[in-house]
Amino acid sequence: MPFWWVLQVHGKSTLIKLILKEEEPTSGNIIINGRDTTFLKPKRVPYLRRSMGVVFQDFRLLSDKTVYENVAFAMNIVKATPKHIRRQVPMVLSLVGLSGKAKVYPDELSGGEQQRVALARALVNNPSMIIADEPTGNLDPETAWDIMNLLNEINLRGTTVVIATHAKDIVDQMKKRVIEIEKGVIIRDDRKGGYSK
Amino acid sequence: MKYNVINYFLTEGFRNVFKNKKSTVSCLGVMCATMLIFGLFFTIGQNINNWVEDLEAEQGMQVFMEFDATEEEISQLNDELNKIEGVNSVIFVSKEEAYNTMKERFGKNAKAISGFTPDIFAVSYMVTLTDLSMNDQVYDAINNLDTVREIQNKRDTVETLSKVGSTIKIVTFVMFAILILISLFIISNTIKLTVHARRKEISIMKYVGATNGFIRTPFIIEGIIIGLISGILSILVVGGGYNYIANQIAQSETWQKLSLGILSFGDMIVQIVLVYMFLGVGIGIIGSSISMRKYLDV
Repeated sequence: MPFWWVLQVHGKSTLIKLILKEEEPTSGNIIINGRDTTFLKPKRVPYLRRSMGVVFQDFRLLSDKTVYENVAFAMNIVKATPKHIRRQVPMVLSLVGLSGKAKVYPDELSGGEQQRVALARALVNNPSMIIADEPTGNLDPETAWDIMNLLNEINLRGTTVVIATHAKDIVDQMKKRVIEIEKGVIIRDDRKGGYSK
Repeated sequence: MKYNVINYFLTEGFRNVFKNKKSTVSCLGVMCATMLIFGLFFTIGQNINNWVEDLEAEQGMQVFMEFDATEEEISQLNDELNKIEGVNSVIFVSKEEAYNTMKERFGKNAKAISGFTPDIFAVSYMVTLTDLSMNDQVYDAINNLDTVREIQNKRDTVETLSKVGSTIKIVTFVMFAILILISLFIISNTIKLTVHARRKEISIMKYVGATNGFIRTPFIIEGIIIGLISGILSILVVGGGYNYIANQIAQSETWQKLSLGILSFGDMIVQIVLVYMFLGVGIGIIGSSISMRKYLDV
């Protein structure tokens, strides 16, 4: 279960966009879970995205929907049955430690809690991979650690987690696989690495 | 499609309609205006067409027989005229009737023809047509019959009426096409505002893996709902307004002298309802599809 750290000052967002098929590569191939998606038809892109959960620095929650609705929304999109939604959403909310906040709106939550909701939304459809773009960027160090521990827990449950981050101390302490990219080229790939050599 | 997905689309569609009150109201306004203007042209056009048709039915040709036509020949011609394609009705005018008509025409000077008997007139048939465009065809067919001496045809009146009728149809159609384009433009811009306000939601949907169809559907349903509401409002306004104005006109003295009939709204309601529903749903679907295109490109 590789746990990646993608470190790149410029272009990490581009890499995530490439994985999500939001942008097309000018050269080379994209292979996700053993499948070449370089020339994936635009019609198939939504189905590719369903195999990945995405978390952003700015949470991107819908402010007019409750925590429960925000998570259920992701299941509606994949046309899950109401029964399945009613069972799955509370389960994921308890996994991220927000069982008691189901009926609360995102604006009433702290940054850390909002990011937990975003994580719950990313997890609810059981993706094989979670992609997080600076997930702790807007959080204070303590909350950031909560989120990182949660991500670690998710990883231990069998989900690949790809994180793009600048947070040096987090990378150093997590001791996970680190891939460093500079100017579009992988310059380092350590099994148990820190932020820098 | 599963029940809960349809349910989701409908809930979202209705929610959009009521959540974006400003854009809903402006959409309703523009669509109602289009429909009302269409209703105005349509009802007036239908009435004019109706009058043209009435006048058309009155127009026709008078077919005169030879002076010495026998009873047999007279009834034979009646059968032959009825067989001609495009002939609506055939009315027999006897010598006496022709004499009396002439007498009436002279009025006070009826004495001038008192020396004559009805025998100086020829028997004739008044032939009316089902369709004015058949005029020449029918004329030729009658001309070929042996016992016919002369045909009097009001060709000029017939042609003018034909032209008026088709001009009205063309003008209505062109106006309709222009109005549809204008409302499509305005509706798609208005829905664009709604979509713009919800672009964040749309981009999240894209990241979670929603298909374009899934994202588009609630907006299309929103468009359809607005279209249907404006259709219903417009029918009420056009129906009420038309009945009121038709009554006012029918009661005026000048109108009663003209002796032209006014269609009741009931005669046109099916067509208007069909056009409004088609318009409302069509503009709703096309308008929201146009405005969605840009935002689906994530």
